[in-house]
Amino acid sequence: MRLVGAKIPRVEDRRILTGRGHYIDDVQLPFMLHSSFLRSPLAHGRINSIDVTEARRAPGVVAVYTGEDMKALAGPIKPVIPTGPAPEYFPLVTDKVLFVGDLVAMVVAESRAQAEDACELIEVDYDPLPAVVDYETALDPSVPPIFSDLESNVLVTRHLEGGDVDAAFKEADRVIEVELSQHRVADVPMETRGVVADYDDDSGQLTVHSATQSPQGVRIQLASTLDHPINKLVVLTQDVGGSFGLKINIFREDFCVCVASKQIGRPVKWIEDRNEHMIASGHAREEKILAQVAVSDAGDVLGLKAELTLDQGSYPGLPFGAAIFPSLIDVLLPGPYKVKGYSCDSKVITTNKCVYVAYRGPWAIETWARERLLDIVAHELGLDPAEIRRRNYLEGAEGDQLITGRSVSGITSRETLDRALALIDYEEVRSQQQVARNEGRCVGVGFATFLEAAPGPPEMRLGGGMFAGEQATVKLEADGRVTIITAQSPHGQGHETTLAQVVADEMGVSMDQVQVVYGDTRLTPFSIVGTGGSRAATWATGAVLVNARKVKEKVLAIAGAQLEVSPEDLEISEGIITPKGVPSKAISLAQIARQATLGPASLPPGTDANLESNERFLGEGITGSGWSGGTHACVVEVDLGTGAVKIVRYVVIEDCGRVINPGVVAGQIRGGVAQGIGQVFYERAAYDKEGNFLAGTFMDYLLPTAAEIPTIEIEYVESDPEGEIGFRGVGEGGIIVAPAALTNAIEDALLPFGAKITEMYLPPAKVLELAGIIEE
Amino acid sequence: MKPPLFEYVRVSSVDEALDRLTELGDEAKVLAGGQSLVPLLSLRLANPAYLVDINRVGDLSHIANGPVVRLGALSRHRDVERSGLVAQSHPLLSATVKYIGHIAIRNRGTIGGSVAHADPAAELPTLLVALDGEIEARSSRGVRTLAAAEFFEGFLTTALEPDELLTEVRFPVLAAGTGWSIQEFSRRNGDFGVVTVVVTVAVDSAGRISEARISFGGVASTAVRASSAESALVGQTPSAELWKSAAHEAASSLDPSGDLHGTPQYRRHLAGVLTERALVEAHGRVEEG
Ligand SMILES: Cc1cc2nc3c(=O)[nH]c(=O)nc-3n(C[C@H](O)[C@H](O)[C@H](O)COP(=O)(O)OP(=O)(O)OC[C@H]3O[C@@H](n4cnc5c(N)ncnc54)[C@H](O)[C@@H]3O)c2cc1C
Repeated sequence: MRLVGAKIPRVEDRRILTGRGHYIDDVQLPFMLHSSFLRSPLAHGRINSIDVTEARRAPGVVAVYTGEDMKALAGPIKPVIPTGPAPEYFPLVTDKVLFVGDLVAMVVAESRAQAEDACELIEVDYDPLPAVVDYETALDPSVPPIFSDLESNVLVTRHLEGGDVDAAFKEADRVIEVELSQHRVADVPMETRGVVADYDDDSGQLTVHSATQSPQGVRIQLASTLDHPINKLVVLTQDVGGSFGLKINIFREDFCVCVASKQIGRPVKWIEDRNEHMIASGHAREEKILAQVAVSDAGDVLGLKAELTLDQGSYPGLPFGAAIFPSLIDVLLPGPYKVKGYSCDSKVITTNKCVYVAYRGPWAIETWARERLLDIVAHELGLDPAEIRRRNYLEGAEGDQLITGRSVSGITSRETLDRALALIDYEEVRSQQQVARNEGRCVGVGFATFLEAAPGPPEMRLGGGMFAGEQATVKLEADGRVTIITAQSPHGQGHETTLAQVVADEMGVSMDQVQVVYGDTRLTPFSIVGTGGSRAATWATGAVLVNARKVKEKVLAIAGAQLEVSPEDLEISEGIITPKGVPSKAISLAQIARQATLGPASLPPGTDANLESNERFLGEGITGSGWSGGTHACVVEVDLGTGAVKIVRYVVIEDCGRVINPGVVAGQIRGGVAQGIGQVFYERAAYDKEGNFLAGTFMDYLLPTAAEIPTIEIEYVESDPEGEIGFRGVGEGGIIVAPAALTNAIEDALLPFGAKITEMYLPPAKVLELAGIIEE
Repeated sequence: MKPPLFEYVRVSSVDEALDRLTELGDEAKVLAGGQSLVPLLSLRLANPAYLVDINRVGDLSHIANGPVVRLGALSRHRDVERSGLVAQSHPLLSATVKYIGHIAIRNRGTIGGSVAHADPAAELPTLLVALDGEIEARSSRGVRTLAAAEFFEGFLTTALEPDELLTEVRFPVLAAGTGWSIQEFSRRNGDFGVVTVVVTVAVDSAGRISEARISFGGVASTAVRASSAESALVGQTPSAELWKSAAHEAASSLDPSGDLHGTPQYRRHLAGVLTERALVEAHGRVEEG
């Protein structure tokens, strides 16, 4: 049976759904201590004094660390991959607090409750400073930089051009200017952050249990910042309850917990609570784009000028910060459209807010801004939004490139739009919309197209440098079973299932013969990303495939010699090797594995007893130009009384190449769309003007629940151009495009009221403001 | 999010509870379903030295019928929701309870807890204020009965004394023929309402409105009645314009504050929209007598 393409139930599910997963808080070690952090109540302020005397005397307390204590033991923190100007900072604050939730002190105690009690006894005297909270203040040159060792609150500037932008604007009939902004949200995985550090004084080994996307990333950054020998540092990761980009980071709390364990000589645990999580784990997405689009009256998009501003909050992320995202956004912003000239100027600014982290599709503003712009342009020109897209799509022909110079041959944007509109019955929806309008109801339809560089064309794979290539190990064990060691560190993606499917097919064994090993830096190959950037479908699959083929070759060489058949004429099925068409002559994988393990000397001459392969896969055989993509379309109905938006239908046409497991892929898409719905209607990591955080609990930070998510209808275009590795990533497409499809539909519904949506967040009050029903 | 240190006291009768409350005074907090109190403790927004757990008190869970539906303080939302007795005699109360949180919350949360907690957006206080219901409170000093209007004093603040136990909540049954409606708009399924409105309408034999009640949750520091709109309705003949103007009158009387879930303008607008919808629905339920 071919497993690839089949909806195999995930092997992870039984364990996870019956409560037997092993998450970070399930790590229980003898003599383990617990910790809690005292966090800043101010957005910006100078610490005059800090008194921990009472806290040190509190029941159960083993140690209390201030910023100065910690500074002596670790830091300064420098990202192992420098991305832009890096301020000097330490695990705990030494002089100034920079956001509400900043780390002021750490208490280690026999229980978490005792640690929290002791935190309340720490006396800190602050001088409040004016907080930099919005774009304007950060960009104001007269405002002092929040990092006193940097020159300004603008950390990075960047310029990118493609084609001839001036010529394109000269040729245009009109130029349409819009500023589009998306609001700050948080990743909010079900499992919060957490770490357990366990230092062994005798061996000098530091074992760190981490809820992370990248155990190797944690290891290399910890070793560097703690100045700990990397060969005595082990990072272990088991089940991780979601991340969405947050847990690709190494956190200041991680350093503190390691320092405490090394100092005290006992294991120390820190499990973030939900309130800390909302305030201080990381926020994402706060960006705006000022765009000028040059168009012809007929609807040709000729030129695009953009100014991107990204608010990274206070500290830079680790191991790479927000500063790298503009280089993805500016490349992708023009999207699969035939623009003739393009320029983008980007700025990354710093403010007194929580750290900016990656969130599923961290470049997503390009999709939202572009697809919103296309609708705005269509409305100005009196064109149907489908028409303007059809006029301007790149066809994906051989040699087609984005205006930013990235190959897009083989993309299927037009086909996915056509299919999405057919599936949603566009003509019929338009006529029903008219009927509804006549009845005083407010119905809209919207759609949007995206590209997801998963893995993207070779130019991007190389340009990304550190993200290109992946190593894996495939090994035939002594009993004929197969072990895969992957650099992935799954946190919901189902790699234990999908990688096993791919290798089982290749090796000719059943699923249950394949074991996927991950999350142990003693075994797993280096990868700074681990699981992230939708890389697994292509990179991890490619890596295990390439190595499975190597092992298979060695096995068939042995079998061929023993059966006196040429290896090319052999096949493996259900673990049995037979000459093609001659099933009577057979030898099992198990026999060969046993012989290679226990009697290597008895193998036929010229064959290799090492039935293990761990080559690095560099992308050879990836099909086409490596883009996933698709179109989402939806129908909404707005209640003009309450501002509530009902999603009447939601359809997805996805092209992620060959689908390994339709269940897993649909799960990725649905989860992404759900987060997109959350972003548009419910979620906002809100600050007030003084930089106080307003959404510290789930009463204020609203996540969509199952009740808020409509049925999501999914169909695939399995485009599979020439090549061998035809699987492409699907982790981010759902979330990057859903906000565009939704906001386009809402604007469409509200067009009779002259609504123009330029901010992504549309809670019911905002919807009624856009319709002119209530005042702002 | 670990609660600060407290002493846990379990009581098994009303008298024992009253003794402990008398002895501990404002050092103590009553623990009922814990659905509001426990989150407050975990966020360290409440810091009682003692928790007096009344969950094992046997005689506080009654659901009794009559001209007034009497609910023991410890009766769970879910039991009231599923009570055939309540559905029959007080369908408005049944309908109201369904809006409280999610099933898991209603399984634990208690009627007394909801009322004592006095969240201005909570459904039961809004209903109690609409119906001029009553609250029974006991202490070692005796029993008193408080009218809803005097019981709810402000945001999470009631007329209960620290040594008092809320023992019963009384919901007057609607007069025969009276129409009713509860309309709530929440951001998500199961959330507290951004605005909730409870409306009752009665019509006399001449077809004129003889009584109207309009009560709002979520627009002030307590549930509030829209008295001017109520009196404007009495004596009028029902019509679509009447509902619209009464809803407008009711909404204009409000001065809501804003939060992440809605601006003041939005809340006032929403109050008007929901009131109009509620008046229409309530009138549709009127059985002319
Ligand atoms: C996710 C979630 C959603 C919710 N949604 C809603 C909603 O939509 N609408 C709504 O109304 N509520 C909602 N709630 C709150 C819920 O209804 C609570 O059950 C209710 O507010 C309190 O009841 P309790 O029995 O849990 O009281 P507790 O939490 O035990 O106590 C609440 C307060 O009342 C006091 N108290 C309790 N019983 C007595 C008594 N007999 N005498 C004196 N004082 C007493 C306590 O000391 C405490 O101060 C929600 C809660 C959650 C967690």
